[in-house]
Amino acid sequence: MDAVAPLCASRRTVAILENEPVARDTFRLRLDDPAMARSIRPGQFLMIRPANGSDPLLARPFALYDVIRDASGIPIAIEVVYIVIGRGTAALSRLRPGDGVIAWGPLGNGFGPPPDGPVVFVAGGIGQTPFLALGRWWLGGGAYGEGQPLTSRSSSATLLYGVRSKGLAAGVGDFEAAGIAVELATDDGSAGHHGYVTDLLARRLERGERPALVVGCGPPAMLAALSDLVEKFDVPCLLSLENHMACGFGACFSCVASIRQPDGSVDLRRVCVEGPIFPSRDVVRPPTGH
Amino acid sequence: MVDLNVKLGRLALSNPVLVASGTFGYVREMAGFIRLNRLGGVIPKTVTLRPRAGNPTPRTVETPSGLLNAIGLDNDGIDHFRTHHLPYLRTVGTAVIANIAGEDEDQFVEMAAMIGEEPGVAAVELNISCPNVSHGLDLGIDPFAVERLVGRVRESCPLPIIAKLTPNVTDIVAIARASADGGADAVSLVNTFRGMAVNWRSRRPILANDVGGLSGPAIKPLALRMVWEVARALPNLPIIGIGGIGEADDALEFLVAGASAIQVGTATFADPTAAETLLDDLTRKLDEAGIGRVTDIIGTLRSNRERS
Repeated sequence: MDAVAPLCASRRTVAILENEPVARDTFRLRLDDPAMARSIRPGQFLMIRPANGSDPLLARPFALYDVIRDASGIPIAIEVVYIVIGRGTAALSRLRPGDGVIAWGPLGNGFGPPPDGPVVFVAGGIGQTPFLALGRWWLGGGAYGEGQPLTSRSSSATLLYGVRSKGLAAGVGDFEAAGIAVELATDDGSAGHHGYVTDLLARRLERGERPALVVGCGPPAMLAALSDLVEKFDVPCLLSLENHMACGFGACFSCVASIRQPDGSVDLRRVCVEGPIFPSRDVVRPPTGH
Repeated sequence: MVDLNVKLGRLALSNPVLVASGTFGYVREMAGFIRLNRLGGVIPKTVTLRPRAGNPTPRTVETPSGLLNAIGLDNDGIDHFRTHHLPYLRTVGTAVIANIAGEDEDQFVEMAAMIGEEPGVAAVELNISCPNVSHGLDLGIDPFAVERLVGRVRESCPLPIIAKLTPNVTDIVAIARASADGGADAVSLVNTFRGMAVNWRSRRPILANDVGGLSGPAIKPLALRMVWEVARALPNLPIIGIGGIGEADDALEFLVAGASAIQVGTATFADPTAAETLLDDLTRKLDEAGIGRVTDIIGTLRSNRERS
């Protein structure tokens, strides 16, 4: 229980460069934070809140969507993509370029180097956001963080992306431009497969495909279904958990998840400092949320 | 230079800015964000005799300008605290105040004795007020039980003793007086207020524990009133003010109301550098106001009903 935020994490007041709608209720926020842009890696997150006021009181956690670089490739800004769910994200959506936010990060363990072979990302709701930078990195399309040249790369990356309805699918063009193939599933049948996003993975596994790695991010029910599926087909899988957090740096103990330990015991672990990435076989119960 | 030294009974602090138990992890979590040795002291998360898993999630929910929590004293127990956290805490360069919670009086006494044998601990804060475990709160609402508990802890532990009180009582002065009669060096006022948040669509409370403790700016006026009442009734009992303190003005309000020190709590979640920023601003504001010693303003609040 000694986990702490990454050594490079710090708290800054930074300016908003862009805060643009990219799908229904969904925004892409660009922050003028070169230090964060240089250090943050795919799968890590940051906490963001408006610079003023006490209501909403707490920051909200957001996964890195991508790092923005200047013409010479130097990281200069970061982007997150968020959907307006409650008062915190509603307040964020009302901010404009030039407004300040308080942000701290990079936080969390992030992803390691890519597996050798094809990878499949399975996303539900707003769970697609970690996969743009991850796919770009693992396909060899960009470096993230300091001093981590890749020695291998994934042969292909596919995003299976489930949303309630077509209008909520955000950034499909961003993924495709990064070389990540996208297959949609919708609850209402308005685009792609009419049904669960895990159906898309089941089909692939049933016809004999064996990804080198599956990575999932989304609501608890989706993660539970995904965990069952990869276990049945014996495919390695990582989950990026989205547990409710108050602080993001390990002080509040809000975000705990039941995680199987190397000795076989089960312990509550803080998702913010020990995660958010865990092997699916170690996540004992799907995370609960509101 | 403003003299920031304060004294609470036998406990001397280099400045009045502390951080509240449960909002600062085991302190190592904060080392990357804040210069720990600048603080007047740190109070790590409550430790219990045996490890506790805590409550199921959701454990926290934000409410208007507030935070409702039911963490449930998730911790690895006092043995782990002594062997693992204390060696680190001895290196942080400021006063370490251990916060303990027992399931009954005997456990408080046993743990206080264990902490009392440890070098590098400045004081013990008794959490007799956690609203999320039944024993803590039940104990902290009974003046007779509080006086006896504090008295027995004083006998078993040579360190300064601070009683952290619950606000969920009719008469906070009675509990504070019981703490003083038992021999407490100071009281921390206040822990969280019991509250709840509801999802009417699902017909369910939001917290897995149904109810929790409210903290943050929402409770500041309630906490200030309690500090003021206790300070007036018990002028010789040092008070540590807690409740919605996030900025220097908040801290100064508690100091004039009668607190000799303050704890920054939930504000740390909203900004991990809050306590250090507060200390800088507090120093500057005292300096600008021409106040040379922070002790000169403690308890200087005068009632509007006393016209003179």
